[in-house]
Amino acid sequence: MSGILIVAEHTRGALAEASLELIGAAGIAREKLGGPVKVLVAGEQAGDFAEALNRLGVEEILVAQSGNPHFDAAVMEEAILVAARAQQPALILIPHSASGGSFAAAVAVALGSGFAADVIGIGFAENGLTVTRAGFGNKVNVELDFPGSACVTLTVRGATFKAPEGAGSATITPLAVPLEGLAGRYRHVGFEEAPVSDVDIGKAEFILSIGRGIQDEKNVPRFAELAKRLGATLGCSRPVADSGWLPKPHQVGLTGKVAGNCKLYIALGISGAVQHLHGMKHVETIIAVNTDANAPIFNVATHGCAMDVFTFADALEQCVG
Amino acid sequence: METRALFWGLESFGITLFYLIGFAAMGAFAWGVVRAVRKFKRGRPSPGAPGGFSGIRRMAGDLLTHRTLLRRDPLAGCAHAAVFFGFAVLFAGTAIITLEYDILAPLFGITYWKGTFFKLFSLTVDLAGLAILVGVLLFMLRRGTYPPEKLDYRRGYLDEPELRPAARRWQMEDWGFLAAILLIIVTGFVQEGLRHAMERPAWGNWEPVGAFFGILFASFSAETLRAIRAVNWWFHGLAALTFIVALPWYKAKHIFAAMGALAARDPLALARLPKPETTSEAGTVGVGGMTDFSWKDMVDFDACTKCGRCHEACPARMAGYPLSPRDFILDLRLENEAARGRDLPGRTLIGDVIDPETLWSCRTCGACLEICPAGIEHPVKIVKMRRQLVETDRIDPLLKTTLGAIAASGNSFGEPAKKRAHWARELEFTVKDARKEAADLLWFVGDQASFDPRNQQVSRTVARIFRAAKLDFGLLFEAEKTAGNDVRRIGEEGLFESLAEHNLAEMQKAKAFRRIVTTDPHTFNTLANEYPEFGVIAPVTHYTELLCKLLESGALTVKKPLNLKVTFHDPCHLGRLNKRYDAPRRVLERIGCALVEMPRNRDNSFCCGAGGGRMWIPDKPGTKKPSELRVREAAELFPLDVFVTCCPKDLIMFEDARKTAGFEKDFVVADIAELVAEAIELDAILLADLPNITEKLTAAIAERVAAAIAERLEASFTKLSALAAASAATLNAVAAPAPVAAPPPATAWAIQPLAPAKLDYDAPAKEGLRLLVTVKQIGKLGDTFSFTADGRGILPEDFEYLLNEWDDTALEEALQIVEALGAGEVVVVTVGAEDAEATLRKALAKGAHRGVRVWAEGLEDADPLAVARLLAGVALAEQPDLILAGAQSGDQANAATGMALARLLNLPHAALAVGTEWQGKGVIGVTRELEGGLLHCVELETPMLVTLQTGANTPRYATMRMIKMAKEKPIAVVGVAEDDLTFRAAHIRRIFVPEATRAAMLEGDADAVAAKVIALVRGKMGETA
Repeated sequence: MSGILIVAEHTRGALAEASLELIGAAGIAREKLGGPVKVLVAGEQAGDFAEALNRLGVEEILVAQSGNPHFDAAVMEEAILVAARAQQPALILIPHSASGGSFAAAVAVALGSGFAADVIGIGFAENGLTVTRAGFGNKVNVELDFPGSACVTLTVRGATFKAPEGAGSATITPLAVPLEGLAGRYRHVGFEEAPVSDVDIGKAEFILSIGRGIQDEKNVPRFAELAKRLGATLGCSRPVADSGWLPKPHQVGLTGKVAGNCKLYIALGISGAVQHLHGMKHVETIIAVNTDANAPIFNVATHGCAMDVFTFADALEQCVG
Repeated sequence: METRALFWGLESFGITLFYLIGFAAMGAFAWGVVRAVRKFKRGRPSPGAPGGFSGIRRMAGDLLTHRTLLRRDPLAGCAHAAVFFGFAVLFAGTAIITLEYDILAPLFGITYWKGTFFKLFSLTVDLAGLAILVGVLLFMLRRGTYPPEKLDYRRGYLDEPELRPAARRWQMEDWGFLAAILLIIVTGFVQEGLRHAMERPAWGNWEPVGAFFGILFASFSAETLRAIRAVNWWFHGLAALTFIVALPWYKAKHIFAAMGALAARDPLALARLPKPETTSEAGTVGVGGMTDFSWKDMVDFDACTKCGRCHEACPARMAGYPLSPRDFILDLRLENEAARGRDLPGRTLIGDVIDPETLWSCRTCGACLEICPAGIEHPVKIVKMRRQLVETDRIDPLLKTTLGAIAASGNSFGEPAKKRAHWARELEFTVKDARKEAADLLWFVGDQASFDPRNQQVSRTVARIFRAAKLDFGLLFEAEKTAGNDVRRIGEEGLFESLAEHNLAEMQKAKAFRRIVTTDPHTFNTLANEYPEFGVIAPVTHYTELLCKLLESGALTVKKPLNLKVTFHDPCHLGRLNKRYDAPRRVLERIGCALVEMPRNRDNSFCCGAGGGRMWIPDKPGTKKPSELRVREAAELFPLDVFVTCCPKDLIMFEDARKTAGFEKDFVVADIAELVAEAIELDAILLADLPNITEKLTAAIAERVAAAIAERLEASFTKLSALAAASAATLNAVAAPAPVAAPPPATAWAIQPLAPAKLDYDAPAKEGLRLLVTVKQIGKLGDTFSFTADGRGILPEDFEYLLNEWDDTALEEALQIVEALGAGEVVVVTVGAEDAEATLRKALAKGAHRGVRVWAEGLEDADPLAVARLLAGVALAEQPDLILAGAQSGDQANAATGMALARLLNLPHAALAVGTEWQGKGVIGVTRELEGGLLHCVELETPMLVTLQTGANTPRYATMRMIKMAKEKPIAVVGVAEDDLTFRAAHIRRIFVPEATRAAMLEGDADAVAAKVIALVRGKMGETA
C-alpha cells in the first residue's frame, strides 16, 4: 500500500524519453514517499519495452498486454486502475504529452486521487507532497499540495527531470486487464505523417531565428540551411518578415507567432524588441548571439554570446559538418 | 440686316422630317435618362449628400472654375475646359436660336437673331467651336502620342499581361467619344465653310473659322458646293442628334453623372463615415450586393471618366497591392450596367466582382477621393463593403486578433487598460486626472501615443511642453479607450460605436474641461467629425495647432532657432481629410527650420500606409511599403536633416522605413514636438524651475512619492521572502533528514471515484441533436501584477479577460458541425463569476444557441477536476450527443478538464483533435495531433467527448453588433450547493514569480562557442539534432 506507479509511453514502436524521465522524478519522490517504484507499460507489444524501462530504481515492470498495438486512452485508463488497485500507490506519474493528457485526468477522477498537470517540480512540506507548475504563460509558478489525498496523480512536463543512468533489477510481471467493457467504443484508424514543408512556429520545439543582424536577403538561405542541419525550424523577427526576406509564417512575436511549444530557441542577430520577446521569452532554453553585448535579448536568454553572427555561423557550420 | 437662314435648301418635307427625327432623338435621350434615374432610385438613401442648393452651388463653382479638373494635370484640365465651355456656348447658342425660331417668332413675330447681336453671336459660337476643336485635338494628341501611365487600363499591379476585354471596350469608347465630338465640330465648320463659299456674306469675318473653311472650298463649283452642302447638312444634323441620343449610354454620361456626383458629394466624405443601414433580409451590415449601395454610389460609378488621377495617387496601387480606385469603380460600374441597381442572380459582389483583397488593400488615406474631379467617393464604398467582410468573418487573422484585443481591453496593443497612462509616470510632475479634477484641456492620448515606446517619449515631451507653457491639462487615464477611427475604417461599426459611446460617457463623467487636444490625427478626425453624431463633445484641436498658438502668442519662446533643413509629411487625417495644412508649417518656421517640401505635399501628401487598419494586417510578400516610397521621396531632397511628422503612426512607420530603405545615415525622423522642445530649450526650462518645484512640493505629491517608495519596498521585500521560501523548499526536497514535520497521517488508500456535482438545474427538453461546448474565460496577465494578501492568488484587476482560444476552436467546430448537418443546438457552458457572462455572450454572438453559467462564491481556486464535476452536473441535465472542449486553457494550461469530464460521464473521449467527421449519429471520426505534428486518426462511439487543439479551424469573429444582438439569447445561471463547493483535487499553497535569469555568457573563440552551442542543442533536443 505505497510506492510510486509510473506510466510508460510509446508511440509506433518507440518508447518515449519522457517515460524514463519519470523514473528520475520518482527517484526524488521516493525519498519521502518510499517505494516500490513500479512502471506500467501497456499495449500489444508492451513486453518489448520492458528491457528499456529497466533502469536504476525500478522495482517492478508491469506489462499489460492488449489487443491493440497502438495507443488507446481507454485501455490505458483500465490498465492503470488495475495496477493501482493492486499496488495502492501514493503517487502515479504520467508524461504530460498528447497521450498522457488523454487519460491522466480521467484516471484521477476514477481513483478520486489528488491531481496536478504539467508539473515541473516535486517537493515536500507540512502536508506531504508539493508540486510546482507554471501558470499564465510562465509568468508565475504555482505550488500545490494535496491535503487528505492518499494517492496523487501527476502529469510531468517533459525534459524537466533527468532519466537515471544504469540498468535496474526489476522483475517483470504480466498484468491482466479486463477490456470487455470497452468493446466497440473505439477504433484505431491510422497515422498520418506531419506535412514536412509547413512552417509552424507555434508547434516547433526547436527554433533557430534570424533578425536584422543577418543584414541582407541573400544571407537567408545560409541560415535556413544551418537550421535544417540542426533540425530546427527557421524563425525570424519582424523586420526580416517585413522586408519580405522570409514569409510571414516564420515570424516570431506579437504580430507573428508565439513559439508556444518551443523548448530550445536560438536567436541570431536579434536585438530583442519587446514585440519579438513576446513570442519567445517564455522558452526554457534560449541561446542568443548578437554583436551588441547590451542587447535586451540577453535579459531573457539562458546562454548568450556577444559575437558577430556570421563568425558564429562559420564556426557552427564547421561543427555540424 | 445680317442674319442667315436656318434649314438652308430644305423643303417643308425635309424640315418636318428633321423635326420628327429631332423629337425622336430627344425622346430617346429622355428615355436613356429616365432609365438611368430609375436605376439610381433603386439605390439606398445617401445621408451625406448636402441638402438644399448648397451642393448644387458648390458643383456650379467646381464647373465654372474647373478647379477639380485643373489640379495635377493642367493640360487635361485646359483641354477639358475648352471642350466644356465650348459646348456650353454652343448649347446656349442653340437655345437662343430655338427660342426665336420655334417660339418667339412664330407666336409673337419677335426676332432678335440679326444685326449686331447676330454678328457677336456668330463670332462667339464660332470661337466656341474652335475651342472644342482645339480641346479635342489636344486630348487626342495626348492619348495618341504620349499617353500618361494613368490612362493605361492594363492592370500592372495585378501582373496582367494585356488588356482585359472590357478595357479594350473602354479604349474604343474613349476614342469614339472624342471622334464623335471631332466629327460634329468638323462637319459643322465644313457646313459653315460651304455656306461662306456659296454666299460670301458681307459679315463673313464675324465667323472667322467658317470663313477660313470657306477659303478651302473657294475653288469648288457652285453645283459641287450645293451637293456637298445638302449632304453635309444632313450628316452634321444626324451626327449631332445621334450624339445626343447616345449621351446616356456610354462615357458621355459623365456629363450628367459627374454633375450629380459633384452636387451630392459629402463634404465630410471619409472624414465622417455614414452610419450603416441594416439590410432587412439577411440582417447583415454593409454592402454585400448592388442593392446595398446608395444612389450616390451608383451615380459615382457612372460619373467616372477613367481619368486615372486616383489610380495615380493611390499608395496601395503604387506599393503593388491589388487596388486601383479607378478600376474598383469601373468594375462596379460594369457590374451595375448589367445589374441596374439590382442584384444579379448567382453572383456575389464581393468575390465575383471585387476581390476581398482589394478591399483590404485600402489605407483610407483619401488620396483618390481628394483628387477625383468628378466627386467620386471611393474609400467610403470600400469601407461599406468591408463592413460586410467583417460581418461575414472574412478578416485577416491578425486583424481579428487586434479587434479582439480592442474589444477586450480598449487598445490595439492588447495591453491591460490600467497601463494606458503609465507613460506619464516617468514625468517629473503629476498629470491631472480629468476624472477627479477640472482642467482647461482634456488630452485624449490615443493608442500609439499611450503604448508604443517611441511615441511614449513624444507624449512625455508634449506633456513637458504643455507644462512649460503653463497649460492646464488632464487625462482620462485608464477610462480612455482607443477612439476607434481605424476600427470604423476596418468596418467593425459595432465596436466603433461602443468605443464612441464609452469615450463620450467617460468625458461626460469627467470634471469640467473646455477643449480636447490630441497628438493623433486619426483620433482627432474621429473625435471632431464622427463623435458629434453619437453625443455632445467639446471642441477638438490637434497639438500642432496648439503649439502654433503657444509659439505665436509668446507662451513658448524660441531660445535656440534650430537652423535645420527639414521636410514635413502631412498626415492624411490631419491634412487631406481635415484641411489642416498650415499650423505645423508655421511651427517649423517659428522654431527656425528651413522647410523644403516634398514633391507630394499638402492635399497630395503620400500616405505612410498604416491607415484604415492596415497597421495590423501583415504586408503582402512582394509588395513595396508606401512608407519606404515616401522616405525615398524625402531622400531626394538631399541634404536633409529631419523628416518631421506629427502623427504617432507616421513616426513608427517612417522610422522603420528610414532603416529598411537604408537612409539611416542620411536624415532622422522626428516628431514636431521634439523639435519644438529643442528650440525652446525645454530641458533648461525644467532645470531652472527645479528649485521652485521643490519649494512647491505639495503634500499630495509627497504622499504620492512616499506611497510609491513604500510600494517598491514592499515589492522587493515580498520578492526576497519568496526567494527565501523557494530555496528552503528546494533544500527540503533534496536533503535526506526531513526538516519538515512528518506528513499528516494519510487518509487510508481507497478508490473513491468522483461523481458529477448535483446541480439544481433542469435543461430545456431536447428537440434533436444537442452539442455541449465547455468554455472558459481566461485571465491574461500583463507585465506587472500583484498577489493577493495570502499569496495564493493574483489580484483580479491585473487580468484582462478573454475567451479561451482552445474553447473558441471547440465552439467553431461545434458550429460547423451543426451548420453542415443543418440541424442541432449548440449549448455553451462555463464555470465562472458574473463577469464571465461576457465570454458566454461572445460565444452566443458567434452562433451558440443557449448558455449555462455555473458559479458560487468560493470557486475562485477550483482546480480542473473540481470544475469538471460542475460541468458534468450540467452535462447530465443537458444529455448532449457530443461534448466539445478546448484541449487546454490559455492561462493555467492543465489540459485536464476535458478528460476529467469525460470520465465523470463515462464517455469515450479523444484529446487534441485537429479535425472531426461526424454525421450527427453513430461513430465520429477524430484526427488527433501528437508531438511533432504526427496525426492519429481514430473512430469513437457517440455520445463522446472530444477536446480541440487550436488550428483545427479558424474561429469566426463576433462583431460588436452580433454580441449586442446575442443579448436576446438565454443564459441559465446555476448555483452550487455547499457539498459540491469544497472539493479540490489540489490545493494552492502559494503563487510566486520564478527567479529571473540573465544569460550566462559563453566564453572563448567562435569555435569554442559553437561547440558549446552544439552541446547545448544535443543536451536539449537529443543526439539526433
